Amino acid sequence: MPPRIRSSNCPPQQLLLNYLDAPLPSSLLPLHRPAVASSTPSLPSPCRRQQQTSSFSTSQPLEMTKPQREFRLFLKRAGKQFEKHEGNGPMYLSLAKPEGGNNTPFPSNKMFKSEPVLSSRARQMIWEAVMLQGMPLKAVSAQYHVDMRRVAAVVRLMEIEKRMEKENAPMAIPYARAVEKMLPRANLMGEEEPFEPINDVHVHSFTMQQLFVPVSESREFTRKDAAKAFGDHILPPDHKMRIPELVKMERDILSGVPQAQAEKDFLARTRESERLFAESQKYVAAKKEAKKLKVDTERFEFRIEKFNSQAVGKRGRARNAVGWRYGVPFNDRQKGLYKIPTSVG
Amino acid sequence: MRCERRILRYHSLKRGRVRQTWNKYNMFNIWRMRDKKSVIGTFFQQKWAAKAATRAYHGEHIKEKQWERMFSRRLLSAVNMDPAYMAKYDGSEQAAGRGSGRDVKPAKGKYPKPDLARNTGNAEGMTPYMQMTFAPQERRLDISVFRALFASSARQARQFVIHGAVKVNGKKMQHPGYLLNPGDLFQVDPEKVMIATGRKKSSKTESSSTPKTPAAEEDAEPAEEAAEAAEQPAEELSPEQLKSQHLEGLKQLHQHARKIIELNKEKLSGGHKKEIRELSKKIKEAMNRARKVGANVQETGDDMENLATLMSHLELTPAERAELRQQQEQQQAEAPAAEATATSPETTSSTPDYPQLRTRTPVPAAQTKFDRVESQILKRLLEEEKINPWDPSKPYATPWRPRPYMSVFAFIPRYLEVNPKICAAVYLRHPVARPGKTEIPTPFNLHVSQLAFNWYLRRR
Amino acid sequence: MVVKIRLARFGRTNSPFYNIVVAHARTARNSRPLEVIGTYDPVPKKDTYDESGRLHKDIKLDVTRAKYWIGVGAQPTETATRLLSMVGIVEPKHQKTPPRKSTPKKEKAVPAQA
Repeated sequence: MPPRIRSSNCPPQQLLLNYLDAPLPSSLLPLHRPAVASSTPSLPSPCRRQQQTSSFSTSQPLEMTKPQREFRLFLKRAGKQFEKHEGNGPMYLSLAKPEGGNNTPFPSNKMFKSEPVLSSRARQMIWEAVMLQGMPLKAVSAQYHVDMRRVAAVVRLMEIEKRMEKENAPMAIPYARAVEKMLPRANLMGEEEPFEPINDVHVHSFTMQQLFVPVSESREFTRKDAAKAFGDHILPPDHKMRIPELVKMERDILSGVPQAQAEKDFLARTRESERLFAESQKYVAAKKEAKKLKVDTERFEFRIEKFNSQAVGKRGRARNAVGWRYGVPFNDRQKGLYKIPTSVG
Repeated sequence: MRCERRILRYHSLKRGRVRQTWNKYNMFNIWRMRDKKSVIGTFFQQKWAAKAATRAYHGEHIKEKQWERMFSRRLLSAVNMDPAYMAKYDGSEQAAGRGSGRDVKPAKGKYPKPDLARNTGNAEGMTPYMQMTFAPQERRLDISVFRALFASSARQARQFVIHGAVKVNGKKMQHPGYLLNPGDLFQVDPEKVMIATGRKKSSKTESSSTPKTPAAEEDAEPAEEAAEAAEQPAEELSPEQLKSQHLEGLKQLHQHARKIIELNKEKLSGGHKKEIRELSKKIKEAMNRARKVGANVQETGDDMENLATLMSHLELTPAERAELRQQQEQQQAEAPAAEATATSPETTSSTPDYPQLRTRTPVPAAQTKFDRVESQILKRLLEEEKINPWDPSKPYATPWRPRPYMSVFAFIPRYLEVNPKICAAVYLRHPVARPGKTEIPTPFNLHVSQLAFNWYLRRR
Repeated sequence: MVVKIRLARFGRTNSPFYNIVVAHARTARNSRPLEVIGTYDPVPKKDTYDESGRLHKDIKLDVTRAKYWIGVGAQPTETATRLLSMVGIVEPKHQKTPPRKSTPKKEKAVPAQA
């Protein structure tokens, strides 16, 4: 192992001298200086070099390493434009690359693109369509080409925003403005490309294999048959469409129904499906509530749920058994094993 | 809990590891990442290097064992089915005529014409499954908070969660490893977000970015306060003196406002924050003085309205001023009597209304009134000051500005829907790969991701 | 030996959770009982999106089994009596807690203007 500090080599006078003729500031040094010179034997005073790295050294480091120099240069030249965000739109690193382009935040990964987000106006528009005009989510989704789940989320967030505004709760308004300026945005005004795919079909892992299925030439081999060939429980994409009413509308148009009428029917169908869904939800909730007996006292409401204590297995240790179980070890205090809830709310 | 592993030189330029932060060194490391064309080392060495590089970015704060448990070889993807195509065909056309000369060339372009509508399949490129290697991590609460741009690094996001600044579905959630379910709404304390994404308050950065030094600004502030304090004993002045002081103050205010407008006409987005701050402060002072004089002013809270009211006071002719003074004296004389008789506080505090004073046209109209454009500019600036105020009590530099180099890292993946105003976001669904693009933000190319995937596949 | 309906404390420090059990009187509190007929979570909780601040407590109870055990002479402890009386299985031992008035509190009378 080489000695870390060669203090014995260096007399105190030399130290003082080092201190007095302090090296040039790093910015004044020529850039083409050799980066690492510690290995060069022909130094005028080896002592000076050695002292650079010691923790109690009084002198400043002589020069920057090569990456440090490149970093400084980058900040001064190619990276200069990114320091302060100006203008109205994204500024990604790909701008500083010879290939150009401005939607890939990571220049070496072309597959990941920064896709537009809904502008605040677009979000307001969606909220108005759902909450003021009372349009069904599916119809709003189809109209603006925004995923149904996103439509619901936008409305949910806007409702919270409005409530917070009413309560005068603190909000990050300057932050929101700055962020909106930095992101690519979609206004949903119709002239752009569709915002996002709205009829996503999940690719089942069973369908990722190649099959060899001999079929007679005269037979129509449809999507349904293909699904069956992959597995008995595999659904054809027709059953997995998020907005099946859209397919129905297109089919109507193909069969000669005028466009306006088809669109009207589409709206009615989506409304009906939404109503049915809401009803089923209500039914489930009501059924759950009916199981509970509520006793209101001055301080608390006691919610008494009835259950069958006989249906807990032979030894009372079935998974659906109620209450703290007997004869089962609890690992929750074991080291490194703490339980994170799997769902909230 | 055990202490986290501390990494020396987190953003080492020599090693060039890319991290989940908005740091400028990290930005440089991303920028100089190169696609390695030549293959170096054995397959094992390549996998090892790929794993090391990707894990330095993806959940570096997650222990390797934990990540190995989380890893899943099942990679999610989705394809968009066109309803028009689904309506027209049942899928049998794909096999029709095969081998009998009825092959149709696949439609080119993204949106084929309706009559050519076919299932485009991989027309938009291959599905980058391998980029989905680290998809399970994106479900974590801390990483989602970072992806929603509420924290400047994944580690900071993790700290926010642990310190109780993050709520999931309205309930405080203190586990950074909580895996979000589709539809979960998470919300971060806006103040924390402002700290994380705003400029730092240190004097060093301030002086380098803006010509005005904060030290000078802060010096100016106590001086103003001192001046204000010095004004306090002057309360015992006679009404005439008060009145003249009030008018003098108004004139100054007017000049100040005009100066700001002049400054801003050339450069609307200029940093004249300090002047505006002073103006709004002076408006408040003038309002206080006006109330002492006894003029009819109400606490509206809107600076622009206040300014308009105050300016209307400036439109008094000398005769009116005399009248005002007379009434003032009358009121002064009445006040003790009223105080002695009336019991309810409303009667004593009520101020006489002078409707005739504000309806008069002013004599030096051109000087005292702001035209429409001017008043609009002033209004905008005053509103700006109200929303984004200068507040030395905040832990970040005020008025709030985004931290340097933030825009480079500003992107929101599609599986999140973010509302930055309330600092809340909804985790819509699990991230998926689509033909031609991935939803996992990763700085590594397909090749590196594939090697990393293979590394983790090996042990399963 | 007397059979009792009583509570067995589980949970952790500062976060109690009770099993409502039927057990012989002289057995240990947390020993295996004759039967677990329910649970009682005494920690008051709020509904997630409820702004009123009203708190509730959750009880799970097998009513038919509870009735059966009372019928064959099991003696509920005082706390168990309190819980069972809510469902009407036993007579409440002490005065009945009056149900909470559902009508909102009356507005404070505005003092007449002088």
